[in-house]
Amino acid sequence: MKKVLILGGGGGGAILANLLPEEEFEVTVVDRDEYHVFQPGNLFIAFYGDSVEKYRRPIRTLLKPHVKLIRDEVTEVNLNDRKVKLKGGKSLEYDYIIIATGANLDFDAIEGNREILESYGDFYSTLENAEKLHKTLKEMREGRFVIAIADPIYKCPPGPHKGAFLSSTLFERMGVDVDVVLALPFPHAYPSKTISDIIEPELERRNIEVHTFFTVDSIDVEKKRIYSLEGEELEYTVATVIPPHEGPEYKVEPSEVKDDSNYLKIDKYTCLIEGFDDAYAIGDCTNAPTSKSGVTAHLQAEVVAERLQGFDAKYSGRTNCPLITDGMGLFIISDYDHPPIPVRLSRFKRLLEDLFVATYWDAIRYPELWQPIFHAYFEATSPAKLGERGW
Amino acid sequence: MPELIKVDARGMACPGPISALTRAYRKAKNGDTIEVLATDPGFKPDVQAWVKRTNNELIELTEEGGVIKAVIKVTGKRG
Repeated sequence: MKKVLILGGGGGGAILANLLPEEEFEVTVVDRDEYHVFQPGNLFIAFYGDSVEKYRRPIRTLLKPHVKLIRDEVTEVNLNDRKVKLKGGKSLEYDYIIIATGANLDFDAIEGNREILESYGDFYSTLENAEKLHKTLKEMREGRFVIAIADPIYKCPPGPHKGAFLSSTLFERMGVDVDVVLALPFPHAYPSKTISDIIEPELERRNIEVHTFFTVDSIDVEKKRIYSLEGEELEYTVATVIPPHEGPEYKVEPSEVKDDSNYLKIDKYTCLIEGFDDAYAIGDCTNAPTSKSGVTAHLQAEVVAERLQGFDAKYSGRTNCPLITDGMGLFIISDYDHPPIPVRLSRFKRLLEDLFVATYWDAIRYPELWQPIFHAYFEATSPAKLGERGW
Repeated sequence: MPELIKVDARGMACPGPISALTRAYRKAKNGDTIEVLATDPGFKPDVQAWVKRTNNELIELTEEGGVIKAVIKVTGKRG
C-alpha cells in the first residue's frame, strides 16, 4: 500500500482523495477546519442573502469512508525527510504528499483593509464575512459601493466583476440609488482584452463605474478614501478590497521550493514540486501560471490521481472561470497554449453555472461518476476546438 | 540609493507583464529604474498607457528578436 498524505480538504484535496483506489492507496487528509466551503457561495450569500449552511459541509461527509481525516494544522513540511509536523504534536510520514492548502489572504498588508473588512464584511474571504456584507448592503440607501483589488494575482479573476454585477442588481431590487464602482489593476475592464471587450457594454448598461490601472495602495478609513499605487484616489461609502494573497505560511523544507510570495514552485504540467518526484502541489497554493480557481484544483487533482497510478497525465492549464450577472453568464476558457477565447454572455451559460452549483457536493464526493460528464464538457469546449469561432 | 529592478515577464500572456510591473512598482521608490522584458505583443501599448497614467518616465521601449524591453524611471510615486 502506498501512503498518500493530502494537506487540505478543499476542492483539490477532496477530489484527489476520493479518486485514489482504496486497494492501492492508504489516504490521509489533513485540514485545520471542520468544513469544506464552496467559495463561490460567498457571492450568493452577499448579494442574494442565501444562508451560510447552503455552501458548507463537514469535510468528513465529503470523503469516502476509507479516507482518513485528521483535523489539525500543519506547522512544517519536510520534503527531504518525508515528514509533516502538526500543531497538535503529531508527526506524519508518507510515500507521496500533495499540498493543497490554498492561498492565504493577507488583510494586514494594506493599511485600512482589516478595518473595512471588520466594518462591512466582504464577498471573498469567508461565508460569515459574506453574510456581514449582505447586511451592510441591505442598509445602504445611497452613496458608492466600491470593489477594488490590492494585487493583480488573486483567486477567481472574474470574482470582482461578479460582485459588481450582482450588487448592482441587488441595489436595483432594493430601489436605492447606490453607485457601483469597480477598480482594477489592469489596462482594461478584465485581465484579458478579449473578455474585456465582451463585458464592457454590459458594465456600461448597468452604469457600473470602472477604473483601470487602479491597484490599491492604502485605505484611509477616516476620510473614506482608497488610494492607488498608480496615484489616484476613490471615495467610498462602503468598500471591499481584495487583499494580496500568499502561498502557505507554514515552513516547507527545502525553503527553495517556495517563491517570494510563498507559492510552491511546481512543474505546470505534472504539478510535481520542483526537484521532487514524490511531492505535488495543486490548486491556489502553487505558482502555476494559470487562474487561481476551483477548476484548476479539480483538473490538477485528476492529473495527480492519474500520475500516482502510473500514468503520464499532464495538466493543460485549462480554465473555465464563470462570470455571471443576475441572469446571464459566460465562461472564461483558456489553457497554457491559448489565451481566453471569445465567448458570449447567455442565459444558457448562467443556467449551466447554476447546474454546476447544484451538483457541487456530489461531484466532490463521487468524482469518478461525474468525470465522464465533465470530460465531455471540457473536450467539447476546449480552446483548440472552439478557437477563434468562440462560444 | 536608487536601485535597478529587473522584471522578467517573458512567456507571460496579457496582462501578465503589466501585473509583474505593478508588483515591482509597489516595492519601488522614486529614483529607481524598472526594466521589464516581455514577449506579449500587447505589452507595448499597455506599458505606454501605464506610464502615462502613473506619471512615470519611459526611458526606453525597444523590440528585438520578439522580446520587448521597457525601461522605466520611477518618478510618480507619492511620498
